[in-house]
Amino acid sequence: MKEVINYILDLGPAVFLPLIMIIVGLIVRMKFSTAFSSALTLGVAFLGMSVVIDFMFDAIGPASEAFVNNTGLQLNILDLGWPPNAAIAWAWPYAFFMFPIQIVINLLMLGFNKTNCLNLDLWNVWNKIFTAVIVSGITNSLAMGFIVASIEVVLELKNADLTQKQIQRMTGIPGIALPHSMALTAVVLAPLNRLLDFIPGLKNVEIDAESLKEKLGIFGENHVMGFIIGIFIALFAKYDLKSTLTLAVQAATALTLFPMVATLFMKALAPISDAAGEFMKKRFPGKEIYIGLDWPFLAGQPEVWVTCILLVPVILLMAVILPGNGVLPFGGILNICFAATALIVCNKNLVRMLILGVIATPLYLYVGTAFAPHITNLARQVGTIDIPVNQMITWNGMEAPEFRYVFSRAANIINGDYFGLVLLAGYVALYIWYFKHMKAREAEAAKDLGLS
Amino acid sequence: MKTIIVACGSGVATSQTVASKVDKLCKERKIPAKVMAVDIKSLEQNIRIADVYISIAPSNKDYGIPTISGIPFLTGVGMEETMDQLEEILKK
Repeated sequence: MKEVINYILDLGPAVFLPLIMIIVGLIVRMKFSTAFSSALTLGVAFLGMSVVIDFMFDAIGPASEAFVNNTGLQLNILDLGWPPNAAIAWAWPYAFFMFPIQIVINLLMLGFNKTNCLNLDLWNVWNKIFTAVIVSGITNSLAMGFIVASIEVVLELKNADLTQKQIQRMTGIPGIALPHSMALTAVVLAPLNRLLDFIPGLKNVEIDAESLKEKLGIFGENHVMGFIIGIFIALFAKYDLKSTLTLAVQAATALTLFPMVATLFMKALAPISDAAGEFMKKRFPGKEIYIGLDWPFLAGQPEVWVTCILLVPVILLMAVILPGNGVLPFGGILNICFAATALIVCNKNLVRMLILGVIATPLYLYVGTAFAPHITNLARQVGTIDIPVNQMITWNGMEAPEFRYVFSRAANIINGDYFGLVLLAGYVALYIWYFKHMKAREAEAAKDLGLS
Repeated sequence: MKTIIVACGSGVATSQTVASKVDKLCKERKIPAKVMAVDIKSLEQNIRIADVYISIAPSNKDYGIPTISGIPFLTGVGMEETMDQLEEILKK
């Protein structure tokens, strides 16, 4: 049996993922032809992502090496943004187990009235897979990986409850909630935001975010941002004009293609998440619940994009000056996970969002640095992605960096890492304050909505 | 044939989900339409070729074409009504 499994794993994710996918598809009663097509799409998605990552390393690898040599800054961890990290997470051999874990936890919590959120965002199951990958990489324990990922599922649902009314007040959409793990960062942002209350005058600053977004919007487009970062890296690498422009267009290409290829993952997995969603909805007809969705229903708020774009120079500067940072920001330069969370925490106050952004940027960079070896290891293990020997990969701006860092250290108690317990105690204390604080804010939002 | 455009934060997950659902429903109702999922950051470029915009992200901006909410396609609540609304617009 073990030999069979090893043989299958040795085939590489582009082959074994479709095999697993066909089996899962048949379990959820898909037609064989649909299951086959979806499964093959998953293989294509994975190889497609490998092709783009290889292209990117061919182009940016030498430039970032020259960057390191010329500046003496040890920024040898390339930030790939989320799409390649999603690909790596899905390529983890145990990835599909996360579906039933999330669904069962959600249904149990609904059944026992521990949450009001039915999370139909099954795309972001990969966030929890990513957590499990990192934690089991750090602790060498598969069980610990799944335990921490399960805690993440619980906290996400709790957090959906703690933000639902505030989000409804902001977007005007009833009946939905945000169980995305990005919003867990509110646990550290909310206390900071509370401290900002003591700065006089901050409450009255009014900025027209919509018109700012009109002016800055072009910088948010993937290819434009890739072009700019390409030029930034080329400048430090001391490239000549021709090489600089070439690199800039190559970087624009990589950042444009990453999400395009990631769409294939979505297409492949959609039938499964649809089936799972239907399964879940049938279990709770008529009950008063909120449907948990992915974050884009917040994407119409201009503050999100203005914050992302204005933080780009901050992130680049901090990457250069922060001692101990190893991340060269690239694919994750638009920090959506921060901006969407800050939008809720600061209730659309742009100035507060930017101040918190400056404070939080080191958190994202340092956790990106700390996790790089484990993400790189997994990417190397799954085989098809060639990462140059002296390079590592990571994701600046990942969702819930504080949660992942604290809980991976805490889980590492099994290897005698006692400092993790100190961190965990701090987190729990912060969470208790956060829970009460958000309950009060929810009550206020409910009042504004005329619900109480 | 009319073009329907759906946008989300990256043009990957949510918009794709809504687009494939709308596409399926259009086929069931025999409405000829092309459904496209795009990145909201590049919406301005893409909206020029669209006849209807399905918005997942409510905003105050007016794009000059009929806009309907995409949320019902995600939650399933009020989906048929929204689809009727879409059919009405596409028939014009």
